[in-house]
Formats: sequence, structure tokens, C-alpha cells
Amino acid sequence: MDFREFKERVFAAGKANGLEELEVYATRSRSVNVRVFDGQVDDYRVSVEQGVGLRARFGGKVGYAYVEKLDEDSVDFLVQGVKANAQIIESADEVVFHEGSASYPQVVCYNEDLDRLSPEEMMAFCLELEKTALAADERVFKVSNAVTGCGQTEVYIANTRGLEQGYRSNGVFSYLSAVVRQNGQVKTGYKVLFDRDWSTFQADKMAREAVEEAVSLLGASSVSSGSYRVLLRRDVARELLATFVPVFSAESVQKGLSLLKGKLGQTIASPLITLVDDPLLENGAGSAPFDGEGVAARTKRVIEAGRLTTFLHNLKTARKDGVDSTGNASRPSFKSPVGIAPTNFFIEPGEYAYPELVESLDDGLIIIDVQGTHSGANPVSGDFSLGAFGYLVEGGRIVRPVDQITIAGNFFKLLESVEAIGSDLEFEVPSVRGNVGSPSLIISGLAVAGN
Amino acid sequence: MLSESVITDVLLAALSTGGDFAEIFMEDTFNTQIRMLDGAVEEAVSGRDHGVGIRIFQGLRSVYAYTNDLRRESLMKTAREAAAALPGVPQGKTVVLARMAVDRFNPVRLEPRQVPHRDKVEVMKKAHLAAAGFHEQITQVVVHYLDVDQNVLIANSEGLLAEDRRVRTRLSINAVATRGEEKQSAFRGPGRHMGFELFERIDVEEIARDAAHSAVTMVNADYAPGGKYPVIIDNEFGGVIFHEACGHSLEATSVAKGVSEFSGKLGEKIASELVTAVDDGTIPNAWGSQNIDDEGTKTRRNVLIEKGILKGYMIDRLNARRMGMEPTGNARRQSYKFAPTSRMTNTFICAGESTREEIIANTEYGLYAKRMGGGSVNPATGEFNFAVAEGYMVRGGKIAEPVRGATLIGRGSEILQKIDMVASNLATGQGMCGSVSGSIPADVGQPTIRVTEMTVGGRKEAN
Repeated sequence: MDFREFKERVFAAGKANGLEELEVYATRSRSVNVRVFDGQVDDYRVSVEQGVGLRARFGGKVGYAYVEKLDEDSVDFLVQGVKANAQIIESADEVVFHEGSASYPQVVCYNEDLDRLSPEEMMAFCLELEKTALAADERVFKVSNAVTGCGQTEVYIANTRGLEQGYRSNGVFSYLSAVVRQNGQVKTGYKVLFDRDWSTFQADKMAREAVEEAVSLLGASSVSSGSYRVLLRRDVARELLATFVPVFSAESVQKGLSLLKGKLGQTIASPLITLVDDPLLENGAGSAPFDGEGVAARTKRVIEAGRLTTFLHNLKTARKDGVDSTGNASRPSFKSPVGIAPTNFFIEPGEYAYPELVESLDDGLIIIDVQGTHSGANPVSGDFSLGAFGYLVEGGRIVRPVDQITIAGNFFKLLESVEAIGSDLEFEVPSVRGNVGSPSLIISGLAVAGN
Repeated sequence: MLSESVITDVLLAALSTGGDFAEIFMEDTFNTQIRMLDGAVEEAVSGRDHGVGIRIFQGLRSVYAYTNDLRRESLMKTAREAAAALPGVPQGKTVVLARMAVDRFNPVRLEPRQVPHRDKVEVMKKAHLAAAGFHEQITQVVVHYLDVDQNVLIANSEGLLAEDRRVRTRLSINAVATRGEEKQSAFRGPGRHMGFELFERIDVEEIARDAAHSAVTMVNADYAPGGKYPVIIDNEFGGVIFHEACGHSLEATSVAKGVSEFSGKLGEKIASELVTAVDDGTIPNAWGSQNIDDEGTKTRRNVLIEKGILKGYMIDRLNARRMGMEPTGNARRQSYKFAPTSRMTNTFICAGESTREEIIANTEYGLYAKRMGGGSVNPATGEFNFAVAEGYMVRGGKIAEPVRGATLIGRGSEILQKIDMVASNLATGQGMCGSVSGSIPADVGQPTIRVTEMTVGGRKEAN
């Protein structure tokens, strides 16, 4: 049964059971993943999955249900499920179903060339990755992961107000992690790529970068505790930004879970900072023509030269605040209720190349990785205290690697204390929290705990 | 569930190239999730997850494919597509299925699907009221209710055919305390491998008040001093330190490929002689227990470390081949969408002989980590970090002021050696553990322990 036919049956059964309004959100995806270990393809995965989430109004309240099998049993499960769930809803928030936007943007989020990328090519790429990494330095003793995956997803949304839209997107990613060893010390280095253009994937470059990073960390030791001037490399800056994404959500603000409440129009960051959410970014991993409620996508600045200009809204939060939805309704999966998430969310790049930032850091620390953002960071207070490693810089030059330290601070204070921004904007591999990117940032001071 | 003839045909199709072992994992799971914000139900979702995962081995190679189209022809196609990734010709295997008698030691009395929603909401309201009414600084309470009824069928080309049902119920409470612009939250999430009778066994209100107490204490606390000093980690969820810092490095997932810091160390002393640690999937109704694992192997009690000596790993079928050892009943996966691998079930450090009071009284200066937050580890280097959700300084053998924002970092192998006191108050806490085969329920546990020295990340200079 295809989505449209299934939707018709669900809507008919729903109406017959007294449901007042219905909306289905359905996805179907296909992916192939390959992993190489010790010169062999040791893991190969093919997945085909689909699912339909229904939300519907009954007695004025909205309940949710989902299924993965498209048959008559499932129609009944969905309708009875949403009905039972709607009956226990007590929240007074008004849920709005979208009747469709006047027009939808053309967004480049599918590359047909990828349809022709064969599993054999991905296997060959992984073999090459592993081989090159092992040969790149005699201290490499394992390549713990050489993985490549390619997938495509089709999204379909339709409701009883007449909305019916769909799109498809795809992408390919590769991940390599190398383990190096010297004098009993073990270090890892990794590299991840995501793109829609397979021709940009170069195994030797990826392998070299992962190995170089791992090797550069050998001989690392801690530093004395204290306050340091810090260069957050682009991947660390984006990890921190991604961790604190919820503070920009209107839902967090309305629930009193964001300290940005009441700060619209105020300066909340260094004037160097402009933060953008751009769903129309060509080939962005988070690009799409509409959001999880079918609202047309549009680009907006969340922070403009340090000033907070908007929160991210879906229809529910927008109605509460008396504004328009920013098109940031999210459905991480057909299983999930509507939430809020950014699309392609990034700090605009500055003018300095990364080596220039290292030089202008003068004396301080470069942080190239942080661990524990899911536990050591509190999106409500903005506080974070994270395991970290990187390099010690003296007189604008890297003097040695550093590990076994933590960096601690507060995200909101960090935004205010950005002193310089790199030109090296880079995005992460997309996840449920959106596709987040950042250039490298110099921060005037962070608390470091070490010896 | 699938008929035996379909299972046999699909397994044979999976072996139509050079595969030497094939497995089917079928799942039909019902779940309910309800979310309550400040006493009002805000979201309720019912779901049904339904699909089949097919796995094939050829030596140490593994192929995995899954689909939620369960018709015979679709399963045959999926099996053939998966098989096509392996070279070779059929090895002439026959499949004779024999139904396994599964010992069901996790009884379920009140099936969640038979319990009306309003009873679930009533439990949530109790939790809300207890937390919200605890203190005027509690400004928000979020309560989640979750039940999962997972029905699985596992069959393989060696003739195994097993069915199991896993019913799990959990309530989680997040209390937020506010002081001026400052906010701190505290989480409690009791859960069991059982039905709605969970709420006859636990005191929801006491747990909710405990969460509120934690949040209020922390919002009024100053930051922890950074530096290296003794750390006392309390029992129950404090076991997350062992889970993260050592447990993951004892999973065959990292051991088999030689990338764990504990690879090749069986029989060696890797911890203080005070440390005996166990992974036990057979504790009736515990959160991480299962009658059988996700490869159909009976779960068991595995001693990992005995008096400091490394005794065993947690091993799945594929890594058992790589390591030349037996599977240990630890193969787990979030759902049919994941190939299983070795994971923890209920993992804990066993009881020692001290008491919490003795440990504190014997500590001149240090951190008492009463409640741990989550954490993570790099299995290759053993480097871990985790957050202290509720901490206190210890001065002159007494618990002193509360401190917030502390992070513990270190290497598993070092910490294990530095445990110098272990209390007798073993208790467990519930968590969701995320790794390569998805997010799975796991119990962590330990008695109160002391580590002679750890790096504590904090925002203040040590004093």
C-alpha cells in the first residue's frame, strides 16, 4: 500500500470514529552501510524502512500514534491509539494544523548521481581508507572504524485541511578512526565527511588527516589548573553550539527552560557573532522545502551582530507568541511528536584562516575535542564542564599536546567572550538536533582543570 | 509471528551464497509514552514497531539487512540481497528448527496494555505533586511514563527457534529548581522489566521528592573546585562510573578487535583487590534483565573482575568467533533495526565491607559524589568523563557544603586500581545505554566507593 492510499484509509476510518482533524507524517528510507576491518568488509548493512505517524484531534485535544506496517490492522491501531491518547491530554496549548503555504521554495537536497553509487565502490573506498591509514605512520596499530554509508529518505505529509506535500533527500557519509600507540600511550584520531557529491571524498586525504591528528596527540599530558585563553577548533565550537541548540527554541523559552527568555532584541553575544538558520542552503544536510508541519522553509538570522533577533518557532509556539512560524517544526522521525529544531544552523564565518587564529591566540590552549556534552552540559543553566584535549600554545606556536583536562564555563558567557572568528566554517554529520556548523572561535577565558 | 516454513526458507535464502550462519530476528513491539509538564498531560504517543532483521556470517564477516515488509516474498528478497554481499557458493547447510524452552524468570503481572491510561496518568500526577510541592524553588516538573511490550522471535540456521516477551515500565521525573536566573535540574528514572505492578514496588512520591531535593540543593550550591583529589562515589547510580569507565571496555565489541585497554589481559590484575564486578542478566525483573539475549542465548551471571583479577568479557556470537570464546548471553540490540553486539545487562561492583559513614569519616578532604549524571568513554584510550549531578565537599571527615558543576575525568584502568574503600550498601540504578547496537535499558550499580585521587573538573581554584 502506498502512503496516499494508506492515508485515505486512515482518514476515512478516523472520520468514522469521530476524529475531528487528522494529519499523517510518513517517511520511507533506504540505506547501505559498509565497514572494513583488517582488509576485509566485515560488516555490510542494508535497510529498508517506512513508517507512518498520525496525529489527530478528538474532543479538541490532539493525540499521537505510529505504525511501521501499512495494513488494515494498523489503520485500526492508529485510530484507536490517537483517540485514547487525545482523551488524556490536559495541556491548554492550542495545536494548529497547517492548511499549506502559498508557495514552497525549490531546495537542492537530492543528488541523483548518488543513486549510481554502488556498494562495491563504497567497499573499495573503505579498503583504501584503512590501507592508507595503516601505511600513513608506523605508530598506527589499528583502524578501529572505516565506514561508508549512503541513504535516501522520502518524506510525505498530508492532513484533512488540504495540505499534501512531499520531498526526498539523500546523502553519503564516511567515518574513519585510527588508533596510534607509542611508549604505552594510546591516542585516537578520526575524520567524518557528509556530502551529496561523492567526488569530494578522497580516501588518502581523510586517512592522512585522521592519522596526523592521532599522532599529534602522542606525548600529551595535562596542564596546571587555571583560566586560559582558548581557541575552540571549529568541530568543538559546533559541538558546543549543537549542545545548546534548545536555548534558541521558543518552546524552551515559553516553558521557562531557556535563559534567553525576555531577551529578544537585546545583545546576548559578541558583536562578531551572527547565527543563521538556513533551510535553503544548497546541498545542506538539513535542507528541505518545508518543515515537520508542512510550513514552507525560510532563512532567518537568530543572532545578528550579537543581537538576539528571533527564536525558532513551530505553529504552536508561534501562535502563543503572536508571531509567524519560522518553519522550524521538527519531526525527527514519524514516531516523534512535533517539536522544534534548527535546519542548517551555523555561526557565520569570519576572516581569519585557522593558522592565523593559532598565531593570534598567543598563549593559551587549542581545544580539538570535548567529551560528555550529553551529561556534562546543562542546556537550562548554560553551564558546562567537559573532558577535553588539544594543544598548548605559547607565543602563537603549538608547543605540545594536552590531555586529561576539563574545560568549564557557561555557554551564554562564552557567546559574549568570542574575540575572533575563523573562516573555516564546517558542518557536522547531521543528527536529530539539526545540521549544526561553526567556524573556529577564540574565547577570552575558560576555566581549565588539570594538575 | 512467522511460520516455521517461512523462517526455514528465508534462512536458506540467506545462505544461498557463501554464508555459514544465518539468523532472523523478528519483532512486534507496542509502546506507550506519556509526557506531563507541570501537572498537565502534554503529549501521549502509542506506537507499534514491527520488522525483521536478517543477519549472515561468513567467517568474521557479517551482513545485516532489515525490513518492515513481512510478506514472504519481501523477506526472501531481503535475504537474497543480503546474501549477495557475500562471495562464494552455498555450503549445503540444512536447517532443522527446534523450539527452545525459554525459562521466563521475569514475570509480568499487570500487562501495561491492559491498564487504562488514566491509571498511568494518576501515577504521574502523584510524582508531579510530590516534587512540585517539595519546595518553593521548584519551578517546573516534567514527568515521563513509558511502557514497552516487545515480542521477539529469534531463529538461526543452527536450528534455534526461540520466542520471548520483554515488558518494561519506567517513570522518570525531572525537577527544575530556580534561584534568580539560575536553574538546576535533577533526574530520577526508576524502571523494571515488569508491568504496571512496578508502582506497587516503588514509592513514586519519595523518589519525586528526592529529585526535588537534589535540584534545590544544587541551585543553592557554589561551583566545585577543580583539581586532583579523593572522590567518594555513592552507591546506586554511582555505578555509572564502572559502566562507562570499565564496562564498555570489557564488551567484546571493543575487546575482540584489540582496541580496548583490557584486550589480552585475562587473568591479570587490572583493579584493586577490593573490586569484584559482575554483569548479571538473570536478576528477576531487573531493568537490564532478559530471559534470553537478542541472539537467543540464555542470559547468565558473568564475573568480569574477581578481587581485582580480570576474569571475563561480555561476548556475542560474532565476536566469540573472533576471540575463540563462548558467547556469554550479552548480545543486545535496540530493535530489529540494529545488528546485535555485546552489551551490558545489569552491571555492578559487588558489596565490600566498609560503610558509607566509615568512608566519609576517613576522608580528610575530597568530593562526595552523591548522585552521578551520565558520562561517556573512548574504549581505545579508556578516557572517560562524567558529570556529578549532586556533589558535596568532604572536610575533616564530614560532609560539608554542596557543590555543582563537577565533572570527573580519568582512565578506567587507573581508577580501578585506585579504589581503596568499598562499602557494603550495593544498590542499582536504571539507565539507557547508547552504543553501536542502539539504545538499550541497562542497570548500573555499586556500593559506596572511594577513589584515592581523580581529576575533578570545576570552575573554581582548589582550596
